[in-house]
Amino acid sequence: MALQQNANQILDLVKAAGASGDLIIDQGQSLSLKAREGALEEYKVSSSQILGLRVIKDGKVGTAYSEATDTEALKSLVEQALLNASFAAVDAHESILANAAVLHTDDEVLCPHEDVGIDAQIDFALAMERNLAAKNKVKNVPYNGVQDNTGERHIFSSAGLSAYSKSRMCAAYAYALVEDGDKNAMDGVGQAARLFGELDLTQIVTRTHENCLGLLEGTPVASGHYDVIFDEETQVQLFHTFAMMFSGKSAKDGVNPMREKVGQLIADRRLNIIDKPLNSAGFGYALFDSEGAATQSTPLIVDGNLASLIHNSATASFFDLVTTGHATRGPKSTMGVGLHQLEIGKGEDLAQDLLGGEYLLLTDLTGLHSGANAISGNFSFGASGYLCQNGERVRAVRGITVAGNFYDMLGKISMIGDQQYWNWERSALMPHIRFADIAISG
Amino acid sequence: MLNTSLAQSVIDHAISLGADFAELFVERSQTNMVSTLSSHVQSVQSGIDFGVGVRLVYGTKVLYGYTNKAEEAELKRIVSELAAKDRRDPRISFTNFDYRRVEDKHAANRILSTDPEVDGKVAFLLATDKAARAASNMISQTRGTCGQVEQKIELFNSEGLHTGDIRNYTRAFLVAIASDGSEQSTGSWNDGGLMGWELVERMNSEAAGKEAARQALVNLSAKPCPSGRMPVVLGNGFGGVIFHEACGHLLETTSVAKKASVFHDKMGEMIANPVVNAVDDGTMIKERGSINIDDEGLDSQRTQLIKDGKLTSFLVDRIGSQQTGFARTGSGRRESYKYAPASRMRNTFIEPGNAELDDMIGSMERGIYASHMGGGSVQPGTGEFNFAVTEGYYVENGKILYPIKAATLISTGPKVLKEISMVGKDFALASGTCGSVSGSIPTTVGQATLKVDDILVGGNA
Repeated sequence: MALQQNANQILDLVKAAGASGDLIIDQGQSLSLKAREGALEEYKVSSSQILGLRVIKDGKVGTAYSEATDTEALKSLVEQALLNASFAAVDAHESILANAAVLHTDDEVLCPHEDVGIDAQIDFALAMERNLAAKNKVKNVPYNGVQDNTGERHIFSSAGLSAYSKSRMCAAYAYALVEDGDKNAMDGVGQAARLFGELDLTQIVTRTHENCLGLLEGTPVASGHYDVIFDEETQVQLFHTFAMMFSGKSAKDGVNPMREKVGQLIADRRLNIIDKPLNSAGFGYALFDSEGAATQSTPLIVDGNLASLIHNSATASFFDLVTTGHATRGPKSTMGVGLHQLEIGKGEDLAQDLLGGEYLLLTDLTGLHSGANAISGNFSFGASGYLCQNGERVRAVRGITVAGNFYDMLGKISMIGDQQYWNWERSALMPHIRFADIAISG
Repeated sequence: MLNTSLAQSVIDHAISLGADFAELFVERSQTNMVSTLSSHVQSVQSGIDFGVGVRLVYGTKVLYGYTNKAEEAELKRIVSELAAKDRRDPRISFTNFDYRRVEDKHAANRILSTDPEVDGKVAFLLATDKAARAASNMISQTRGTCGQVEQKIELFNSEGLHTGDIRNYTRAFLVAIASDGSEQSTGSWNDGGLMGWELVERMNSEAAGKEAARQALVNLSAKPCPSGRMPVVLGNGFGGVIFHEACGHLLETTSVAKKASVFHDKMGEMIANPVVNAVDDGTMIKERGSINIDDEGLDSQRTQLIKDGKLTSFLVDRIGSQQTGFARTGSGRRESYKYAPASRMRNTFIEPGNAELDDMIGSMERGIYASHMGGGSVQPGTGEFNFAVTEGYYVENGKILYPIKAATLISTGPKVLKEISMVGKDFALASGTCGSVSGSIPTTVGQATLKVDDILVGGNA
């Protein structure tokens, strides 16, 4: 009730100033556990709340946020947002949606009840580290953790919108360092689930150990051009690194190279990409976006053609379109756009064809934040993985780089597998894609 | 910011539950960000971050919690929840707080709480935009930001420490985009420091705009980068990111104590070429990585990490000191009250040498001159690192031939430190932000131009 009262108080002040506005209130509780040498090394709990206000006055937009919630802070929040708006240029396209809906996501789906005690979570963290540390050649498990996070989001607007969503994510991860003489390797895996009881300790331990041992003997391959398959983790990372290509906001800002290419062939004709926010099996599920607009499946690439960019109401207005329900806004940020849950359609290539002959399977990419330019499409990343022949891992490969132009690569697809896989964070669903003629340095 | 008797009551409560050490970190930060795009103001954002971090230590176990509510009942609830599995009879007795005033060696003049000076920031950014666009009609877009933060912190701990500090950070960025109709490329410029908006007094909007435009235009004409192992000359200033990634992170006790650093057992040994002298200095006046005190309340200091190639010190925080036995170095840092402190870098650089740039370029039969670097990352356990070249040139027979497109340099820390064969005189620092276990913190990297004899260049030629 205090929260609703705070929201009403803030939006009343906004309206009294002759402005319209919307208010995001994010609340969260989290638990984080880390283990070291058989004992708990870190135990972290948090309780947080933050308010983010957007106001529009005389066509000018201003935002402000506060983690303090005393009366003075709430008053200051409104004053700051209005002051910030006064410096902005008039934006004919951004507005508060005429939306007085009352929206509520399904707690039973996104935040199911579970009776799990802290003892069970501590035992999981300790066992994960202990069991991995006991494995052959494992020197230690320097990075590991168990997390249990519950987040709530409220959106209120001066138009009467009241939207609420609550979701939970439990996660566990472990990275082990293995040594054999003067050789070493570090790798790990993670898992995410809505219920703690769905996390599989044995699988994390086994896969982490296998991955580490697999890379221990890794050496570079000769520089050249190879067929490359990215695994289910690295392929999602790669597509997310260049997700700006779908951004209506970047197009409006004049920095999206795909701005003039909607309707044009930009990729191999077998490639189909869709954003599917209503697939509740993933953690990108969203019933409504940050403006409270209903989400929907949005075809992005259809048979190789760029079908649509993603929009919020402002970018849609700029291009004389309607919003696709992709508004993103955190309490601290201005309105943007973002993908919810990327899905690449299945191809028709059977595993025996997809994995035929020689290719590089890349299981780790480094420098994604610094080695990519989403405007030009150029990238160069550190990489590791396996040289494979007819689906068999011939040898481990480390100390190589993979480089090219992502937008050109979309036309270098040689095969698309007929099975889809989630990445461990369950943010995207994709089949394996085999790319031809990719530059590798070793 | 927090009532002393309230703080004492909370720490008393932690001690009564048997904690070996208890600490409260209180933070209230004011932020302001001005952004321009398409020669107009895009947005002005501001806000208040506020919260309290609670750290309890039982042996080597760290228990950490945080909340936005600075109320006694809430803070005691967190203490009780954290200590639930470890509570025992009291091990220590509390000493009354002894307030320690910190000398501000980086006093700021034009601070956020007095005046955000939005008009001045807008004027500066629009002037950089104008200068960039004037450089060429191929500059199709610019994006500028000026961010300013005023962070107030207060610390209380069970050893009687009560102190506080105010840190003012200001930083400006400009990105220019060049387009020839078929391709686009980017160039950038930035400056920042531990200071208020007086930063503007040392910045030149004309030079900033021209520099971002120059880099974007160079990259527009760049050719695919050759790949393979070859010598690389790394430019001064932000080129120092190589040491930050290749070595700096590996010297933090956050990795060393876990034996997750390849250097964990190398103290006193030669780990680099004798021409390498490296320092992490948190005392440099108004540099972005400087601090009066670290986030555990210890005075900042200058730490000689490597002397003539020999490892001489790690970067040590309280827990790292407890675990490794090395003395604390004033390196306990965190992004905010949401993080427990960890050993982190401040202003980290390789000290200048005597080599000339022409000699370095002239010594390469086939190699790369990486005049500007982007960011990078490292895996401490194996020392494998990568970092990006944002402006580079192909060199053959000692001559610079043409600019190259995106390239990544990869190697391992132990290898690359031994491959640094020449260090120049043109020492410079460059501001940045470092992300690691205790969040994203302001840092500075630096070096003179230097030559690495052998490193893997990842290009796509």
